[in-house]
Amino acid sequence: MKKNTLVIIGGFIIAGAIVFLLMAATPGSSGVELTLDKLLATQDQHKDDFVTVEGLLIEDSIKWDPDKIELKFDVKDNDGNLMHVIYNGTKPDNFVEGVITILEGSPTKKDTFVAENVKTRCPSKYEGQDIKNYDPETHKDKLNQPPKEQ
Amino acid sequence: MYLFSNATIYLGLALAVFSLLIITLGISTKNQKMVNSGKGGMLALLICASMAMLSLFYLLGTSQFQYEYVTDYTSSELPLIYKLTALWAGNAGSLLLWTFFLTLYAVMIAFSRKMKGNPMIPYISAILMANAVFFFIILAFVAKPFVLLDTIPAEGKGLNPMLQNPGMIIHPVTLYLGYVGLAVPFAFAMAALILKNADDFWIKMTRRWTIVAWLFLSLGNIFGGQWAYVELGWGGYWAWDPVENASFMPWLTATAFLHSVMIQERKNMLKVWNISLIIVSYALTLFGTFLVRSGVLTSVHAFSNSNLGLYFLIFMAIAVIGGLYVLMSRYNLLKRSAGEFQSLVSKESSFLVNNLLLVGAAFAVFWGTIFPLVSEAVRGTKVTVGLPFFNKVEAPILLSMMFVMAVCPMLAWQKSTVKNLRKNFLIPAILAVIAMALMIALGMHKAWAVIGYGIISLLLVTHFLEFYRGVKARRKMTKERPLVALYRLMIRNRRRYGGYLVHLGIAFIAMGIIGSQNYDVETMKTVPLGGSIELGDYRLNYERLDQKKEGINDIVYADVTVFKNGEKLGTYQPEKVFYGNWDQPSSEVAIISSVKEDLYIVLSAWEDDGKATFVVKINPMMNWLWIGSFMIVIGALFAIWNGKYGNVTPRYTGVRKEVA
Repeated sequence: MKKNTLVIIGGFIIAGAIVFLLMAATPGSSGVELTLDKLLATQDQHKDDFVTVEGLLIEDSIKWDPDKIELKFDVKDNDGNLMHVIYNGTKPDNFVEGVITILEGSPTKKDTFVAENVKTRCPSKYEGQDIKNYDPETHKDKLNQPPKEQ
Repeated sequence: MYLFSNATIYLGLALAVFSLLIITLGISTKNQKMVNSGKGGMLALLICASMAMLSLFYLLGTSQFQYEYVTDYTSSELPLIYKLTALWAGNAGSLLLWTFFLTLYAVMIAFSRKMKGNPMIPYISAILMANAVFFFIILAFVAKPFVLLDTIPAEGKGLNPMLQNPGMIIHPVTLYLGYVGLAVPFAFAMAALILKNADDFWIKMTRRWTIVAWLFLSLGNIFGGQWAYVELGWGGYWAWDPVENASFMPWLTATAFLHSVMIQERKNMLKVWNISLIIVSYALTLFGTFLVRSGVLTSVHAFSNSNLGLYFLIFMAIAVIGGLYVLMSRYNLLKRSAGEFQSLVSKESSFLVNNLLLVGAAFAVFWGTIFPLVSEAVRGTKVTVGLPFFNKVEAPILLSMMFVMAVCPMLAWQKSTVKNLRKNFLIPAILAVIAMALMIALGMHKAWAVIGYGIISLLLVTHFLEFYRGVKARRKMTKERPLVALYRLMIRNRRRYGGYLVHLGIAFIAMGIIGSQNYDVETMKTVPLGGSIELGDYRLNYERLDQKKEGINDIVYADVTVFKNGEKLGTYQPEKVFYGNWDQPSSEVAIISSVKEDLYIVLSAWEDDGKATFVVKINPMMNWLWIGSFMIVIGALFAIWNGKYGNVTPRYTGVRKEVA
């Protein structure tokens, strides 16, 4: 047999191995990406799936338990569908009203999503707010004089 | 100013069209005058693009808020450097930057001393000008950088604080230089094919350009990762996000090309494959831009969703179809005079394996990136494959890649005999096995990590032996002192030893990746004032919470005293910055860095009674990533540096045409 043919066969084996690796890895580590309303409608089917869903954060709903490190909040979509989220982690930096949150995890309980990852995307697309819209009160609650050292 | 800056864009468009047409006409009528005037047009085009850049810099620098772009991305209190770098904060500006680089490259090639009198020049110029026409159309009609607002705002919206970081000054620039750079090998390849110039002159000329593009692409990715690590506060540097994949794929295929081109040089084989790699790399840069700008995929990188992506998709389709058409029509020419493999175990075959692995890795990334789109089209649900998929698939591929890299220097060209295999491999193999045994003895039990570090030690040993044997052989002849011999050896074989330096850099990066992926520890804890957190050998005492003011920003910070094994390392201040003109605060992490590991402290939240929540991570071997990156730069620069010895540019020997 010509050496070129041998080399080509070897190449095919490697290519085959890579394709096999792809096929083997795809089902195990894949999840589904759903819109919020679809997820709410078909929640039972996706109990054990790794689901990615996007929603708009409702800032008033944030409940932060510093001792348990548990963050609870609600997200909604533009049609007013609502979903509760539990996340054992800290607040992402840009966790403000209306920010697009990308949640990854599973919808274990009715209308409740247990998130393993919470990522945020700035709705303003890296573009700033108008300075005249800036309300000096916005950060006040976050800045209320942390206690000094005793 | 408004008239002037817009004029630069529209005049640029006119000039690009003019140059493209006149050069094409010049080629077809074999009229040197026309080609020359096209070249003049290109020079004028570069001036236009520079003027557009300068005027945008000027507008940004002097805060002319009547311009939409200036208002959108800057504010008056921003430091000057960030005002200027806001040029690439948005779509229009970054495309302008892209266009500028494209025209710069085009002029550099058309007027290069080495290419003088080369008949490929008009073709290359025409292809690059076709690219320039596309970008100027975008700048003139889709993403306009110079748009006036109806009312002049008193203040701009400010630059996203996340972009106010030294990493962001340089990351986009290097990435764009890499992206644009890949258009050059594409133009070279197309020109060579159209000219039916089947010799590999073009390859010798192209390789240097590809290395330049490759270097910038590497730098772009590395700076991006570093920015994410210090700025985003999640302690990672790579997330297999579509946007990151978009710049990783062309990097992989360009790397494959840089290697397989050596087989073409030696054996005159794989010509079709090489040209395909060039076309693919180039297409992937456009595809990446399409992915990034169109918003078809869920990504944390938020660029404006605009129809810009669509234009890139169309342009990519044209480029790929055109490229493939040219390739097919010259297929017979390329098929001729191919060499043959003489042995299964040789440097050539290891290069081939390397290529398959790199392209396989690129395909796997591609697959994972577009899988949600494909599955949505086929089954109606968007099936995502996340981090675990990429880690599971890429880890074995890239690890095998490292293995090939480790053994390749020891293989002979043509044919390796059993005898020289044994001679070359016995010592490195034994040392690698000893290293692995040591690792297990020292308590490392993760299989992937042990295998990974084993392969890396093999790589280090074989590369060391390469240098050692080279120096030894040289000293035998010249009797030089070892360091002198090493230096002379290296500068006389710049490509080879530059390549080895890059390999070592990759090995260091791999060490960092394996270490930080397998042995990172993280804890999240809420502690009262005076409380402490323990993690690994570290103890962190939370001493104080306070706030200060810097300009219009309020900064809340915590004083954390860090002890390692009872020894005080110092007091560090993780911060959270609240920007005056930005809604979201941003975390400034405290990083205590050493060769062994990084301690990464994030101040996440605090309560009224002074309790604060910290995220603390130990990321082992992170510094090796940056050291390795540095070595890649050194190696690549070393390889392309114009040395005195043995780097004579080959004379063009191909088909002669009347115009050049």
